[in-house]
Amino acid sequence: MEPKNQYIPYKMRIASITEEAPLVQTYRLEFVDEKDAEQFTFRAGQFAEYGVFGEGESTFCIASSPTREGYLECTFRSTGRVTKALANCELNDIIGLRGPFGNTFPIEEWYGKNIVFVTGGIALPPLRCVIWNLLDQREKFGDITIYYGARSVNDLVYKEELEEWSSRSDVKLYVTVDPGGETPEWKGLVGFVPTVLEQNPPKSDNAVAIVAGPPILIKMGMPILSKNGFDNANIYTTLENRMKCGVGKCGHCTVGKTYVCKDGPVFTYEEVLKMPAEY
Amino acid sequence: MEIKNIKLSQLPAFFDQLIKSGKVVIAPVMKKSGKVFFERVQSYSQVATDYIQTGFSAKSVVFPKVEVLFSFNKTDDGIDIKDSITDIPETIVWGLRPCDGSAFNYMTEFFLKENPDVYYAARKAKTTLIAISCAKADDACFCTSVGLTPGSTEGSDLLLTTMGEDVYVEVITEKGKAAIDLSASLFSVNEERSKEKYLAKIDTKFSLTEIKERIKTAYDSAEWKNESMGCFGCGACAFSCPTCTCFDIQDEGTQNKGQRLRCWDACGFGQFTKHASGHNPKTNQTQRRRQRLMHKFQYSVENLGIVSCVGCGRCIRVCPAHLNIFENILSVTQ
Amino acid sequence: MTPLQNKVAELFENGTISLMIGYKNAINKLAVPCFIDHATQVEQLIYTPECKGNLSVYLHKAEIKQAKKIGILANIATLRSLVQLTSENQLSDIEKTVITINAQNEVLVFDNMEKVEEYVQANFPEYTEEDKKLLEQLNSMTRAERWQYWSEQFAACVKCYACRAVCPMCYCSSCTVECNQPQWIKVSSETTGNLEWHTMRAMHLAGRCINCGECGRICPVGIPVHLLTAQMNLDIEKEFGSKTGFSCNSGYALNTFKPEDKEQFIK
Repeated sequence: MEPKNQYIPYKMRIASITEEAPLVQTYRLEFVDEKDAEQFTFRAGQFAEYGVFGEGESTFCIASSPTREGYLECTFRSTGRVTKALANCELNDIIGLRGPFGNTFPIEEWYGKNIVFVTGGIALPPLRCVIWNLLDQREKFGDITIYYGARSVNDLVYKEELEEWSSRSDVKLYVTVDPGGETPEWKGLVGFVPTVLEQNPPKSDNAVAIVAGPPILIKMGMPILSKNGFDNANIYTTLENRMKCGVGKCGHCTVGKTYVCKDGPVFTYEEVLKMPAEY
Repeated sequence: MEIKNIKLSQLPAFFDQLIKSGKVVIAPVMKKSGKVFFERVQSYSQVATDYIQTGFSAKSVVFPKVEVLFSFNKTDDGIDIKDSITDIPETIVWGLRPCDGSAFNYMTEFFLKENPDVYYAARKAKTTLIAISCAKADDACFCTSVGLTPGSTEGSDLLLTTMGEDVYVEVITEKGKAAIDLSASLFSVNEERSKEKYLAKIDTKFSLTEIKERIKTAYDSAEWKNESMGCFGCGACAFSCPTCTCFDIQDEGTQNKGQRLRCWDACGFGQFTKHASGHNPKTNQTQRRRQRLMHKFQYSVENLGIVSCVGCGRCIRVCPAHLNIFENILSVTQ
Repeated sequence: MTPLQNKVAELFENGTISLMIGYKNAINKLAVPCFIDHATQVEQLIYTPECKGNLSVYLHKAEIKQAKKIGILANIATLRSLVQLTSENQLSDIEKTVITINAQNEVLVFDNMEKVEEYVQANFPEYTEEDKKLLEQLNSMTRAERWQYWSEQFAACVKCYACRAVCPMCYCSSCTVECNQPQWIKVSSETTGNLEWHTMRAMHLAGRCINCGECGRICPVGIPVHLLTAQMNLDIEKEFGSKTGFSCNSGYALNTFKPEDKEQFIK
């Protein structure tokens, strides 16, 4: 069989648009071609290249859970040429999608364990995929604890889902905003995520932790968990270096010999410690 | 391996048959600037014969500086996408050096082993490589330090070595055989013999075995900073390199009609690793140059088992600061 | 040790400099930049006709600036760059000692820019015979021929940006080609886009380029790109009477206004 041309995108229709925060939107995407929809599968942790024809492609994780079939969601902040063009798209516009790329979170290995999520800002989307994946089969996991923070109340994404998680008795949720980012009505925590994590340390017994965030949160968060007794092999992260191809060729995402796009984006802290800090 | 002979005086006749075959023939051409570059030619009279090394390698035949991945066109009921793979012509590269031939081996391994690249595969399948051994070398040549010689056959389809009035022809692959079959009458049977005395003498700069061992711990060497001080952060080394494969993907045209392209990119550029947020994992030229050199001598060995520097010396010759890769490697592995 | 090496050793020993940017011998009979941070290393230093590179470009590099007290070995082109950069307020944060070797083979040390300026004005270089000849050829062409000439030249450009990288006047921290909102200049390399890039660069350098010729000399594909700005400089000198790299206070012809300027539009 001829190998697949990995540069030809699937055509996706924008089925819904949700405003999450200033400049941050979630698009629900549906395959234009039925056949593509039938053969497309992905797992939690994988990412894709989302493209606006004539403008280029941009890399984000798939933010919806593989347990929710028939569509994909992505959440992005409009920053550069492509994301701005993406933000200017309208309902029913057609965009390109390549993927899924990269490795996955080993969710089956986590059955019966307590799960801790640590994330900030626009890095909740990659973990939202995992969170719903777990919540959709809630009985298979122990305690679920989520630490999430953003610069300000307004910058928190998935506000409705945060409400839903906080009202669930089977989820422990810490939501915090950076000092100065709170509003008079804000009832949650105030403080940077690493601080909140240190002040409310999660139990490390029979637990795995997943850290996603801007590089600074990854660099600070993982050592805190390690110090709290988490085994370095049980601390996971997802790295997001600049990417172009998604298949280990273009060279942009390398960290030493490692291609984040094909060898990652999911790594354990144990693995990260062996890599140069080029992320 | 089949060995043939052709009279030196018959080379133009052989070359003309290659042209007449209708394939695209790329050969070294001396430009007004005095530099030699691969170009499409129509006759042997255009071909440069007295040169040490071409300015750029022949990699553009399989990895063009700009390649159309696909074109797109918005229509009333959606969008048409058309790839460009069917348009790739049969191509013969004439006169590449043995080091460049071996570079094709690396590129094939890199592009096709994992997540095979259909564009590279299509181009490589349609390319015949006719290499010519080096009778001359300069101080920048160091193929003998990376396990090759001025007469290596790796990666090429045919290797020609001039021996006085004769040309010793090594038929390395079926493609090479097909090329000489175009003018079978010009070639006579020959016996295997040593090319040694017709090849350039190139001193080894280092022991590859030692370097491969020592570079494993070279990442933290303080020498990277000194060795990179002169680096300006341009793309000359990467673009002239026969094994540098990094690229950018860019769209051109409008949102209604245009093309998605892949273009050569270089890890020495400051923007290469810069995130949209402004964060840059490789903030300075020391880190970027280290990446390039570690990739050649360490990362490609770990990933594919191949030292991906072939010792062609181009990066040394084109570097505006004439940074010297073999001196750099020696220094950081001291 | 040569007089140059002795002088530099002395500058290290008396604490005048902590980093010396000079040239050393390299393979293929080349002179390449070298960076010395101790008196014991001065024996590498050379100064020969091969020392063509313009070392002033390194003064923009963060790793170099960290050195605080910088010695720089300067040929006449480098001296002119230093003068021009001073007039553009680009060197005020660097404590530098400028060293050159004059026609009599004497080592001269300048501890301030006034002295550099004085030396440059007394030794102001002409265009090389080769450049004069090439410019003459270009000027004798018809517009169509000239377009053809540059189109052929720029078709070979691979956008490695070595021309920009070696240019002491290309010091913008973010270049127009890296701007993609809007995408002023295509990222891909093809004749028209390449022409746009080189035209844009030449326009930004008109009346600022100091004719060191480095961009043309180092172009990996051999494009004589320096001729664009060399010609522009001649035009600007003719129209405005200003020379580049000549005075530390000259300002820049294209953004300086004088009441006696002949153009009407600004009055």
